[in-house]
Amino acid sequence: MGGVKASRNGWIVWLTFAIGLLLSVSPLPQFMEVLRPLWLALLLAFWALNLPQTVGMVTAFCLGLAEDVLYGTLLGQNALILTLITYLVLALQQRLRMFPMWQQSLVILVIFGLAQLVQLWLSALTGNRQPTLALVLPALVSALLWPWVSFGLRGLRRRYKIN
Amino acid sequence: MRLLVLVVLSVALMVVDARFTLLKPVRSQMSLVLMQSYWITDLPQRLWQGVASQFGSRTELVAENEKLKTENLLLQGRMQKLAALTEQNVRLRELLNSSALVNEKVEVAELIGMDPNPFTHRIIINKGERDGVVLGQPVLDARGLMGQVVELMPYTSRVLLLTDTTHSIPVQVNRNGLRAIASGTGNPERLELRHVADTADIKEGDLLVSSGLGQRFPAGYPVATVKEVIHDSGQPFAIVRAVPTAALNRSRYLLLVFSDTRTPEERANDAAQAQESLDAQGGGPVIPATVPKLVNPVAPAAPAVAPAAAPTPAPAATPAKPAVTAPARPASHPAAAKPPATQPAAAKPAAKPPVSAPTTPAGRE
Repeated sequence: MGGVKASRNGWIVWLTFAIGLLLSVSPLPQFMEVLRPLWLALLLAFWALNLPQTVGMVTAFCLGLAEDVLYGTLLGQNALILTLITYLVLALQQRLRMFPMWQQSLVILVIFGLAQLVQLWLSALTGNRQPTLALVLPALVSALLWPWVSFGLRGLRRRYKIN
Repeated sequence: MRLLVLVVLSVALMVVDARFTLLKPVRSQMSLVLMQSYWITDLPQRLWQGVASQFGSRTELVAENEKLKTENLLLQGRMQKLAALTEQNVRLRELLNSSALVNEKVEVAELIGMDPNPFTHRIIINKGERDGVVLGQPVLDARGLMGQVVELMPYTSRVLLLTDTTHSIPVQVNRNGLRAIASGTGNPERLELRHVADTADIKEGDLLVSSGLGQRFPAGYPVATVKEVIHDSGQPFAIVRAVPTAALNRSRYLLLVFSDTRTPEERANDAAQAQESLDAQGGGPVIPATVPKLVNPVAPAAPAVAPAAAPTPAPAATPAKPAVTAPARPASHPAAAKPPATQPAAAKPAAKPPVSAPTTPAGRE
């Protein structure tokens, strides 16, 4: 658990992020667009929780920039959101790891909800106002997905002994 | 503290990106790599289409071929008429001394992705800066205007659709020329006309075409059809809702419109040169739109000049010619500059054109 130890199989982490980026732009039916989970935020939350020495706020920032380019938003908007999410997860890390899964989901819901509110505020500032209530839906869907993502990635991590 | 640094950095980035163009190169470099992901997510559908067309049954293909042939025939029939009308339009406008943008160049682009944000209506197409796309360029599909280019990347670009809440387009009613502004509502099937007087002559079923007044969209392309007009005495203006004619959320192939940026003089010169080279090749059936052009500079002189230039019955000769020449020459004033080039040709039309127009479609079948 030493901080300097080189991470083994670190590329798998990056692979999951690449898949996350793909998922965040994959086409969805019209009615599901509103429900699109925050894939990158979910992955970041998991890896920040489990590999805090590898994945941190700088990673979140870079991924956020990538997402900005993909979405065509102002450079830095999603970077700010993802950095905030990662910061909150890291700050609550000790407690979150002790929680049972449903409680983790609740905390994730709150964190992502806050992040979406910041998102709303930023897009209002930049002139693209969005309906308020619908914007919290992705946070809800992400929170519901959290246990599955968490189990899946944990299995992946055990299997490839990523640390 | 790291959070503080990163937050400040991202806020700074946002401000710089919003106010200056400093970060555009960075963004376009990043997009070179990242935009591939749209392509990758589009891959399954592409593969499916490929497979489907591979294994499509013969009868289906034959049926489709039949259908396309019929459609092609219909369209070609319509084209003949259109060409004649275009030419007539050019000539009438010349008489009025007004400049008209009659034909624009178009290029086909393919949709490669939708914007993931459900609250904006933007799409991503596979043509970018390197293909000559420019900011603000109008985008059409087969049925009407779709939107305009709002972000350029090297090989892709982002198109804002008409129905986005931040988009408005100047339109006019095709029936009577009434002008209005159609704004997006965020619903892909709905546009709204703002500030239309309660007494305005607009009714259900009217076709709205672009008026070209915003200097951004070319004039005369269909935009929407009026779906309902509500007169509410409590409201200062009538509520007019319209449905876009373009299939905004279904079209896969789009047309990018390149408007002719040459000045009338340049166009005239180009047209005259093309004409000269044609004449040098031995004339051929291609006929210049000359007779009215002589008229152009001084309208009153027209009756005197026109008969002199073309001893043949001009009205009969000219409308027929366009099938061949119309697309090549939106040019209007060339003749004024170069009478020698055009005059000899002007004599020819009487002989040929009535024949040439009908032959083309028949020959192609």
